[in-house]
Amino acid sequence: MAGILTPQVLRRLEQFQLIAARRAKSSAKGERKSRARGQSVEFADYRNYVLGDDLRYLDWNLYGRLDRLFLKLYEEERELPVRIFLDASESMLFGSPSKFDFARQVAAAIGYVALCGFDRVSLHIFPELQATSDAEMLNFSQQMAIRGALRSVRGKKSSLQYFANLTALKAGGAADFNASLKRGVLESRQAGVAVVLSDFLDPAGYEPGLLALVGRGFQVNAIQILSPEEINPGTFGDLRLVDSESGAVQEVTFGKYRLAAYQQAVANYVQRLREFCKARGVHFFSVNSGESIEDLLLRQLRTAEMWG
Amino acid sequence: MNFLTPLAFWFALTLPAVVVFYLLKRKRVTRVVASTLLWQRFLAETQASAPLQRLRHNWLLLLQLLMLLLLVLALARPYFSGKSSDGKLQVVVLDASASMQSTDESPSRFEKARKEAIALVNALATGKGGQMVVLVAGANAEVRQSATSEKAALRRALEGARVTDSSTRLAEALRVAETLIRDRPDAEIHLFSDGAIPELAEFETREMRLIYHKVGKGGRNAGIIAFDVKPNPEDPSKRALFISVANHQPQSIDARVEIAFEGQLVETKTITLAPTNTTPAVFIASQARDGVFTAKLITEDDLKADDQASVVSLMPQPIRVLLVTRGNRFLEKALAAAGPNVELSTAADHSAADAGRHELVVLDDVVPSEWPKGNLLAINVAPTNWFEPPVGGIEAPPIVNWKNTHPLLRFVTFDNIQVAKALQVKSPGWGVSLVDAPQSPLVVAGEMGRQRVIWIGFDTLESTWPLRISFPIFVANAVDWLNPATAKAEQFLIKAGDAFRLPLASPVTEAVVTVPDGSVQKVPVGVESTEFVWGDTGRQGVYRVQLGTNQVAFSANLLDAAESNIRPRETLDLGRFTQVKATTERDANLEWWRWFALAGLGVMLGEWWWFHRRTA
Repeated sequence: MAGILTPQVLRRLEQFQLIAARRAKSSAKGERKSRARGQSVEFADYRNYVLGDDLRYLDWNLYGRLDRLFLKLYEEERELPVRIFLDASESMLFGSPSKFDFARQVAAAIGYVALCGFDRVSLHIFPELQATSDAEMLNFSQQMAIRGALRSVRGKKSSLQYFANLTALKAGGAADFNASLKRGVLESRQAGVAVVLSDFLDPAGYEPGLLALVGRGFQVNAIQILSPEEINPGTFGDLRLVDSESGAVQEVTFGKYRLAAYQQAVANYVQRLREFCKARGVHFFSVNSGESIEDLLLRQLRTAEMWG
Repeated sequence: MNFLTPLAFWFALTLPAVVVFYLLKRKRVTRVVASTLLWQRFLAETQASAPLQRLRHNWLLLLQLLMLLLLVLALARPYFSGKSSDGKLQVVVLDASASMQSTDESPSRFEKARKEAIALVNALATGKGGQMVVLVAGANAEVRQSATSEKAALRRALEGARVTDSSTRLAEALRVAETLIRDRPDAEIHLFSDGAIPELAEFETREMRLIYHKVGKGGRNAGIIAFDVKPNPEDPSKRALFISVANHQPQSIDARVEIAFEGQLVETKTITLAPTNTTPAVFIASQARDGVFTAKLITEDDLKADDQASVVSLMPQPIRVLLVTRGNRFLEKALAAAGPNVELSTAADHSAADAGRHELVVLDDVVPSEWPKGNLLAINVAPTNWFEPPVGGIEAPPIVNWKNTHPLLRFVTFDNIQVAKALQVKSPGWGVSLVDAPQSPLVVAGEMGRQRVIWIGFDTLESTWPLRISFPIFVANAVDWLNPATAKAEQFLIKAGDAFRLPLASPVTEAVVTVPDGSVQKVPVGVESTEFVWGDTGRQGVYRVQLGTNQVAFSANLLDAAESNIRPRETLDLGRFTQVKATTERDANLEWWRWFALAGLGVMLGEWWWFHRRTA
């Protein structure tokens, strides 16, 4: 876990618990309230005894009073599946500190909080890995192993391994944001909390992917990470901009006098995204990878009641 | 290969500018960014949707449009047709007289006139068969360019014209111009002048389409209009210098006059010049050898050409006068008193033995056996080859007219003079009649070959003339006029622009002329020629001529009161009844494409600068 999050932050995070707006629907036992009845200390209801019920759950006091057999029902506590969609495309490598580093820190923090709360964390990393040469094969298989390990993590003691895997993760390639999110939706058996960590700068848009998550019943948290260079570019003049993922070329003549117009354009983009999310009950956060992560973790997410 | 507008090559100077801008031009810097999505949004937003919105703030586009517009305008070759001259043939007469050197226009009237004339050339509608002639009226009328529609040649002709120090001789030029446009109803004369033209009466009745372009605005000038050197009547060893300074300004001014002999300052004097008046001044100077007196007027005015005059002064020589008479005490006394250098001898006849020994022979009612070859004052003799026969006689002819402007009649009046008997002759071709009776001229002065002759058609003793004061004055004038030294001195004092003529005693092959600006010109002289002629006297000052071993100096001067009055005339008087008003209208068909092209270039450079400034 070296370096990905400071011990101070981790200590603070341990106090938090993910707040799930809905009851957990997971089939696995956990510490979350669920609609399922089962074994716990939390009384839920009575029902009539039917043949074959476990006699241990009969309410003998009632039987003594009413001479009728009632079965005491308890709330079953289930786990909360937390799905983190981590954008590991080429574009996330930009910025200083890079957006990907920032994103992994957020993923580590959310995962840590979830693991502390005995929730299942599954990390969906997109795009899919693709080996481009034999020399990368070793690297490739190693990355595949890491990704596989991150697919399902449970228990606080797994957090160290979780952090190590996150640290060893490498980004690259071109992402298809919508397709990746849709596949994640299909793969998940139960809805839960979904956290999308991306820059949301996909030429194809972000709407279908987010809609798929919302439609599946996920409680979606979208965290947009932009690099300082994207918010406040420092390069002026006649530029020939090459897209890191698509390779598309955009010629721009940029001067200081147009900086405000550019920043307005970025703000407009973020605002549109924010409004889209708000209309669909999605928590939306836009952060600058150059800024402190603690503000996001300890204040913004808390204020938005993602955890508490 | 020729170019119509060689000036256009100045545009080549913009080539380095383009190179500089090319060097300044920055290449696009390639940068890999995370995503171009935000940039696309940015571009899409700034280049807003509405078409007119798109034009807003786009100064580059506006500048480019402006530049293109200007270039298109330039290619359309626009011209302004204010008062377009329809004349198919235009005769440009450029006044190159001394007054055109006035600096009241910047840099001078002549340069301004030349500029206006070139503008007229540029406006020439060559497409419609327009032609132009360039005449320059300086010391003499010169056809610088015969009729052509070749603008470059016309411009060259005008640019080659030089202003002179001579008087205005426009009449000659107008005469030439008038013959050029005669029987051409579509032709016109454009005169570029300040209008200081004395005599144009001869054009009064001619149908001349004369357009007078007035040049000049001020009249601030004072100038020397007369300069002469005479023996000092009070002290024959010294010379008296008479100088007249005209002030054409409405206020009196103080001017300093400096007299120099051969470049050495002799005397200086400050004189007050009365407004619009001529002020005389006399200087006395001693002279030990032949040389040049120069008078310089030091004052602030617009014309420098008339602030200096020089005169060649030769040492006085004795005049040997032979009086052939049967006895005439009046004449004898008058001749003896005619001048300090007169050496008078009397004889009854002029014989072959006397030939060539006297500068001047006076025949007083005597027909000599041998006619003298020298200058002659002939009284009451009528050789048959002088006058057309018959020569008759008249009784008591009344004197009705005399030319008191002639130097011979200076201070001479014929009032109260009666003549008893006179010869009756017809006016001869060789001289001018100075004194007239109704039937016959009584006094004739003229030149036959190189011989100066004064003829008096009556016996002075048969008139009351010798009793009048005018008689000795006339005799003194006559001796002065007939003195070969006077003629020689006059020969060495010419008006700027006139030809200098010098009889050659012995044949020479080459003359070396030093002109006033110091340059030396060598002129071959034909061995048979008996006279040296130098015509390039447009500049005033002292010319020195080396002819073999013989060195002479002569001076060319302006000395013209009309030319010194540089106030431009609003109208030209052609005689008494015809006037030509100065035109202020702009003569047109001036092409403007150069200016548009220039503006287009300027806009382009500005646009480039703007473009780079906004990306910096």
